[in-house]
Amino acid sequence: RIWKRAPDGAWHCSDVLEGVHESTVRSCAWSPDGKLLADASFDGTTAIWEYSGGDFELVDTLEGHVNEVKSVSWSQSGSMVATCSRDRAAWIWEILPGNDHECVDVLEGHTEDVKMVQWHPFFDVLVSVSYDNTIRVWADDGDGKWPCVQTLTEAGNSGHSSTVWSISFNQKGDRMVTCSDDCTLKIWDASIDLSQPTTGEGHESWRHISTLSGYHGRTIFSVHWSSEGVIASGAGDDAICLFAEENSMVEGPSYRLILKKEKAHDTDVNCVRWCPQNPRVLASVSDDGTVKLWELQGDILD
Amino acid sequence: MDFLEPMIALDETHYQDGYKDGYDDGMVSGKEEGRQVGLKLGFQVGEELGFYQGCLDVWMSIIRLDQGAFSARVRKYMEQLAALLSNYPLSDPENNLQDMMKEIRLKFRVITGSLGAKLGYEGRPTSSEQDLEDI
Repeated sequence: RIWKRAPDGAWHCSDVLEGVHESTVRSCAWSPDGKLLADASFDGTTAIWEYSGGDFELVDTLEGHVNEVKSVSWSQSGSMVATCSRDRAAWIWEILPGNDHECVDVLEGHTEDVKMVQWHPFFDVLVSVSYDNTIRVWADDGDGKWPCVQTLTEAGNSGHSSTVWSISFNQKGDRMVTCSDDCTLKIWDASIDLSQPTTGEGHESWRHISTLSGYHGRTIFSVHWSSEGVIASGAGDDAICLFAEENSMVEGPSYRLILKKEKAHDTDVNCVRWCPQNPRVLASVSDDGTVKLWELQGDILD
Repeated sequence: MDFLEPMIALDETHYQDGYKDGYDDGMVSGKEEGRQVGLKLGFQVGEELGFYQGCLDVWMSIIRLDQGAFSARVRKYMEQLAALLSNYPLSDPENNLQDMMKEIRLKFRVITGSLGAKLGYEGRPTSSEQDLEDI
């Protein structure tokens, strides 16, 4: 569903995009220029819709996954789309003129359902998170292939101990936050461009900075970093939490809770997203069937 | 106890006889069953590989007629599929047959996904992963 805001501030549903998918539409993503919308469906396909002349039109369908597609992400240039699926793979597609596309690579490595993919805001790097508890980083090797350049695990990297559901980069692209069924959020240093060949010995890698635990009592399904540096999280405990980064000269970055909105919804909060135009406005959705819009003022979320 | 020995020996003889009969019968029925399974599986594999080879042959013909019909990237994928198909051991079975078939199927999907062609091998056995739809 497409929602538009009327001049008086009220939101209404302007379009319903239907008749294409044969099963659940799990998630969607706007292209960077806002002209295209990609959706990820349990029927195994990703549909690309174009907004033109006040209407949404289906212009392309990406087929390749063998079962449910969980997430879709546009690269910063808009020339590539990444999708991931329960079939344990992530696919990278090149979007070509004339509503055409080609498969660039199939990224295999996860041993379970891949929950989400997200492009780095600047580097030619893609991150995927999975039911196998790991976070994988894939980078362009310059030869048309995207090998896995790093895997962040529980044992090796202070990673998650259960399904990783969601990932978000901060605006600068030097930090990444992930959330998990283990009820924690983890912040990572993502400042190194893993698509560049390493100089000398010793592999540069993204490393764990901080783990935020004890804030949610259930699986954290979604996390999003606002352009003002506020991290929003939504979880199965029906709550939304907001965190801010603090940088101390001695100890490095740390994260404090700004507020926890208990009972933000009647049940599980599935996704939280900051508004691109207004970094104080947050949208949240839930199994309770509602979409809620919140505004952050000081330390109140309403 | 000498008088017990013939009894034990008789027991042993009966066991050996029964074992031999069972072994021989099993050998015969096992071979026959194996032959049936091999025929069925061989037919399935052969048919599926034949389908992919057939598609490849059509694509190759198109390229001969029109070099620019497919992009360089897609042509490369087709060459890779050709190599995978010719490497598949049709006579002498090897250990990683399953993996090789998976690779072939994936390469085929990458090509059809890039061509926007709704092509699929219909006879393929349905996936055994009948999980409940998850979130």
